[in-house]
Amino acid sequence: MEKLRGRAAALLADGSVALIIGYEEGTKRPRPLFCRNSESTKKLIFDSRCINNLAVYITKKELVGKDRIAVTASISTLRSILQLYVENQLSEEKLLVLTVDLNGELREFVTFDEISAYVAQFELKRGEREQEILSKIEGMNREERWKFWLGEMSHCFKCYACRSACPLCYCSKCVVEVNRPQWINPWPAPLANMEWHINRAMHMVGRCTACGACGDACPVGIPIDLITRKMMKDMAPEFGYIPGQPAKQGNALSSWKLDDREQFIR
Amino acid sequence: MSSNTVFEPKIIAFVCNWCTYAGADLTGTSRLKYATNVKIVRFPCTGRIDFLLLLKSFAQGADGVIVSGCHPNDCHYTSGNFHARRRWIAFRAILDLMGVDIRRIQYSWVSAAEGSKWADLVNNTVSEIRALGPYTEYQQVADYLEKGGYNGEA
Amino acid sequence: MSKIGVFICHCGENISATVDVERVSKEIGGMEGVAHAIDYKYMCSDPGQTFIKEAVKKYDLDGVVVGACSPRMHEPTFRRACAESGLNPYLCEMANLREHCSWVHEKSEETTDKAIDLVKMLVEKVKKNKPLDSIKVPVTKRALVIGGGIAGIQASLDIANTGHQVILIEKDPSIGGHMSQLSETFPTLDCSQCILTPRMVEVAQHPNIKLYTYAELESLEGFIGNFTAKIRLKAKSVNYSTCTGCGACIQKCPVKKIPSEFNAGLGTRTAIYVPFPQAVPNKPVIDRVNCNYYKRGACKICEKTCQVGSIEWDKEDEIITEQVGAVVLATGFDVKGADFFPEYGYGKFKDVLTGLQFERLASASGPTFGEIRRPSDGAIPKKIVFIACAGSRDPAKGIPYCSKICCMYTAKHAMLYQHKVHDGESTVFYMDIRAGGKNYEEFVRRAIEEDTVNYIRGRVARVYEKNGKLIVKGVDTLLGGEQVEIEADMVVLATAGVANCGSEQLAQKLHVSYDPYHFFAEAHPKLKPVETNTAGIFLAGACQAPKDIPETVGMASGAAVKVAALFSNDQLVREPVVAVVNRLAPPLYSTCVGCFMCETACPYNAIEHEEIKGRDGSLIRTIARVNQGLCQGCGTCVAFCRSKSIDIQGYTNEQVYAEVMSLLND
Repeated sequence: MEKLRGRAAALLADGSVALIIGYEEGTKRPRPLFCRNSESTKKLIFDSRCINNLAVYITKKELVGKDRIAVTASISTLRSILQLYVENQLSEEKLLVLTVDLNGELREFVTFDEISAYVAQFELKRGEREQEILSKIEGMNREERWKFWLGEMSHCFKCYACRSACPLCYCSKCVVEVNRPQWINPWPAPLANMEWHINRAMHMVGRCTACGACGDACPVGIPIDLITRKMMKDMAPEFGYIPGQPAKQGNALSSWKLDDREQFIR
Repeated sequence: MSSNTVFEPKIIAFVCNWCTYAGADLTGTSRLKYATNVKIVRFPCTGRIDFLLLLKSFAQGADGVIVSGCHPNDCHYTSGNFHARRRWIAFRAILDLMGVDIRRIQYSWVSAAEGSKWADLVNNTVSEIRALGPYTEYQQVADYLEKGGYNGEA
Repeated sequence: MSKIGVFICHCGENISATVDVERVSKEIGGMEGVAHAIDYKYMCSDPGQTFIKEAVKKYDLDGVVVGACSPRMHEPTFRRACAESGLNPYLCEMANLREHCSWVHEKSEETTDKAIDLVKMLVEKVKKNKPLDSIKVPVTKRALVIGGGIAGIQASLDIANTGHQVILIEKDPSIGGHMSQLSETFPTLDCSQCILTPRMVEVAQHPNIKLYTYAELESLEGFIGNFTAKIRLKAKSVNYSTCTGCGACIQKCPVKKIPSEFNAGLGTRTAIYVPFPQAVPNKPVIDRVNCNYYKRGACKICEKTCQVGSIEWDKEDEIITEQVGAVVLATGFDVKGADFFPEYGYGKFKDVLTGLQFERLASASGPTFGEIRRPSDGAIPKKIVFIACAGSRDPAKGIPYCSKICCMYTAKHAMLYQHKVHDGESTVFYMDIRAGGKNYEEFVRRAIEEDTVNYIRGRVARVYEKNGKLIVKGVDTLLGGEQVEIEADMVVLATAGVANCGSEQLAQKLHVSYDPYHFFAEAHPKLKPVETNTAGIFLAGACQAPKDIPETVGMASGAAVKVAALFSNDQLVREPVVAVVNRLAPPLYSTCVGCFMCETACPYNAIEHEEIKGRDGSLIRTIARVNQGLCQGCGTCVAFCRSKSIDIQGYTNEQVYAEVMSLLND
C-alpha cells in the first residue's frame, strides 16, 4: 500500500501523469478517488474490497482531459481496459495502469500486451450468487423464464445506473436517446424495460467482461449482470474466444466463421 | 376450432434483395400459391437486418417473423449473411434466456432460384405459428399502458 | 404533411384478376399523407408513365409509390419517369403487387387486404425517403495488369488500343507465360510462339504500355477509379538501359546446370540468363540464388565479358508507386508436377513426364529441338502412354474439378507424336473425352481415326519400371473392366491445372475473394464472369479457373472492355445506396464514438478513420467515415452500430422502421 501511494505521489509530482484514479475508504466500502496532487495520494488504498470498475472513468473526456492518466486496476478493471483497447477507445500513450499482484507487489503496465499477458493468468470464475440464480433459471421452462424476467423487470424504473456503471457503455448517444426513430422508449414500462435489457445484452455480446458492475449498480437488485455474463460464457465457445481475455482479435460479433452453427436456419 | 374462426397469424418477413426477394419473385412468376399471411420487407442484405426490428414486430402484433437471405457463400456482398448468422445465434440465445418464444422466428436461406422453397417456407411457417396461436404473451406486455396491466388485471 | 402519389397497376389482368385494384386505390387514397391515388391498366406504358409525370406536377407530389410488378423489374422505369417530371428519383418506391401478391394468391378479400398492406408499407417508407444524388467518383484512367501471359498481354493491348495507359507487371524476366512454352496449339496445330511472339513485341513497343518485368505487386490501396499500387521491381543486376542483349555474358557464365524453368526442368540454363530466345525484353537477369558471385563472393565473369558495363552487383529491389483506376488480374495457373502422383512413381521415373514437359519436347525451341526423345537415354520412344485426368476430377486428391484443357492437349500430344515418330504407337487412357469447343471434337476424332491413336477408356492404377520399360497397368472399362498392361517407353501425365502458388496471398492483398481451390472468384458465375466482388478489379484467364487460349483471350478482351467502359467517363456515377456516418455541429461532431465495429464487419474495407481536429490541429476525436467509392451498400455496418450513428441511404433506420410499423398497425 505504501509502495502504491509512494509511486502515485511520484508520478504526480514529476508530471508523468495528471490524474490518478484509485480508491479511498468510503462510509461502507471503498469508493473511487481522483488524485490530482501528491497530497491526496495519501488516501489511496487498494485491496480486495475495491470492487468498483474504475475503467468506466477513463473514457470520460470531461474527467481525464487530454493528459496522461494512471488508474489502479483490479482484474475486472484490467479486463475492461483491454476490451476498451480492442474497441479503439484507449491509447497506450495516455494511460498508465497500476495494480497490486497476488504477492502484494506493485505492478505497472505501460502496454496493453503486458496487461493481456498478466490477465491471462486469471480464469474467470462464476460467483455463488450468479450460479444460484442461473441454476434457478435453468430449471424453468420458457414461460416461467418469461414470467421471472417480467417480474424482475417490473421493478426497473429506468435510472440507467447499469449503463452508467458499465465501462463499455461509452456511447455519447445511447440508442434509447435516438429518436429518429425512437427504437426503445426511454421511460419505464414493461415493453420498454424488456426491450432495453434485451438490447443491452445484444450490445454486450462478445464485449462483456463480466465485471458485474451493472448488477452491483442496480438500485432495485435486478440480476441484469447475469444476462450479459451468461451470454459471454455461452457465446465464447460458439464464437471461439476466451471469456475474460479480450485480445486484439476484433469484435466477436462482427466477425464470423464459415462453420458457425446454423442448424436453426431452415 | 371451427373453420370460420381459424386463427390467421400475422407474419412479417425480413428478406434480402438479392436472394430471397428474388426467390419470392420467382415463386410469383412460377404461379406457386401460398398463404396471404406473410408480408415482405425488403433489405439490401440480411446483414442489414437490425435485431430491434424483430423485437418491434412482436410488439406491434406480429405472431411470427421470417428472416431469410442468401445461402452461405452466395451473399451478394460476400459476407453479410455470415454476419447475420452470427448475430442470430447470439440473439436467439438472449431471447431464449429471457423467455421469448423463439419458435416464432423462422430463419432460412432461400436463393433466387428457390421459388418453391419460398412457398413452402411461408406455408410451413404459417401453419406452425397458427398451431402456436397468437403471441398475446408479448403483445400484452406491449399493450400494458393502454390496457392497464397484464391481462387487464393491474 | 406529405403529398404522396399512389399508382396502382392492373398489369393487364395479372394483378386485377385476383386483387380488387379499385378498392386498393380507394383505401390508399384515404391514407394520411396520400394526395392522389389512381389505378390504371398498364402503369409502365407511355400513358401510364404520363399519369405519374402529370400528377407529380399537378399535386406537387413529394413521393410516389407504384403498386405494380417487382421493383427488380420496373423500379428504374418509374424512377426515370419521376426524374423526368422533376421529382428526385429516389423518392419513388414500388410495392410488389404482382410477384408477391396477385400471382401467388387466389382471388379473395385477403389477397386485396394484403395488397393494401403492401402499398401502405411503401407509402410509410416513402414518407421517410430523402432526395438522393448519384455518387460521383473521379477516375484515374490508367490500368494495372498483373501477369504477362496471354491473358495479360491481350488485356493490356486491348486497353492500350482504346487510348488508355496500361502498366503491365510480370514476375518472371520475360512476358509470354505458359503459352510461350507450348509447342503447337489445338485445334489448328499452329505454332504457339509464331502467334504469340508478335503480340509480345507489340506489348513492348506499344506507346501506351509501360512494361515492368521481374516485378511483383507489393500492395494495393484505394478503391475503384482510385487505386494506389506499390510495385516491387526485383533487382535484375543488369542495367537494361545500357545492356544491348548481345548474350555474351550468358555464353561465358560458368554456372550452366540450373534446371530451366522455361523447359519445365528438361533443359538447363545459366545463372545470368534470358528464359528463352524470343523473350521480351530480350535482356538477361542474374539469378542470385545460383550465381557464384552472390553465393561465394567471387566470379564476376559476366562483368568481365560485358562490353558496356551493364552488370550492377549492388542493385537492390526497388518499390515504385503507381496510381491506377482499374486492375486486371491475369496471373494464370500452374500444373501439378509428376511428384504429386505416388501411383506413377512420385516423379522418380525420368520418362514419366507432365504434359507441359512434353510440350517442351515437342517444341522446336525445346531441349531436343522438337524431337521426341526420352529424358533418360535420349532414345526415341516407340511406345508412349498418355494418362488424362492425372489428378483432375479426383476428390481423393483434393481436385474434384475438371482441368478442362487436358483432353484437348492430350489428343494434340498424341497427334504430334504420331507425326514425328511414324512407327510409334500411342495410347491414351481417359475417363471421358471433353471436347466442347469449335472444331475440338473433330480434332480428337482426327487423332483417333487418322493418326491411329489408341484411346482406352479407363484409369491407370500404377506405373512401374521393369527392364528399362515403364509398365502401365490399367483397365479398359469399355471391355468390361479388362486389365490392360502396356510396356511403354514414355508416359505423359495430363496433370491437373491448379491455382498459382501465392494466389491466396495476392487475393488478400487485393481484397478479392477466392474459391476453395484458390482460384480467384468472379462476382457472379454467369453474369459477371470477369468482375470480382471488389469494384474496379477484373479477372482474365486461368487465374479464375483452368481454361484454354481462345477462352482466355476472350475473357481478357472482356475484362479490357470493362476497364475501357470504366475509363469512358471522367467520373464514375453510382447509385447512392451507401452507408453514411452522421455528422453534427460541434462540439458533438457525430454520435459515432469510434469503436470501429463497422470496420471489422465491412466486407469492402470501406470504413475509414476520420480524425476530427481542433483549430490548433489537436486531435479531438476519431470517428468512422464511409468511403463512398468502396461502399457497396450492404448495410451490415448499420445493424452493428450500437448508437445508430451509421445509416444506409435508401434503407435508413427511419424507412425500415416505418415499414414495419405500418404493416402491423391496425
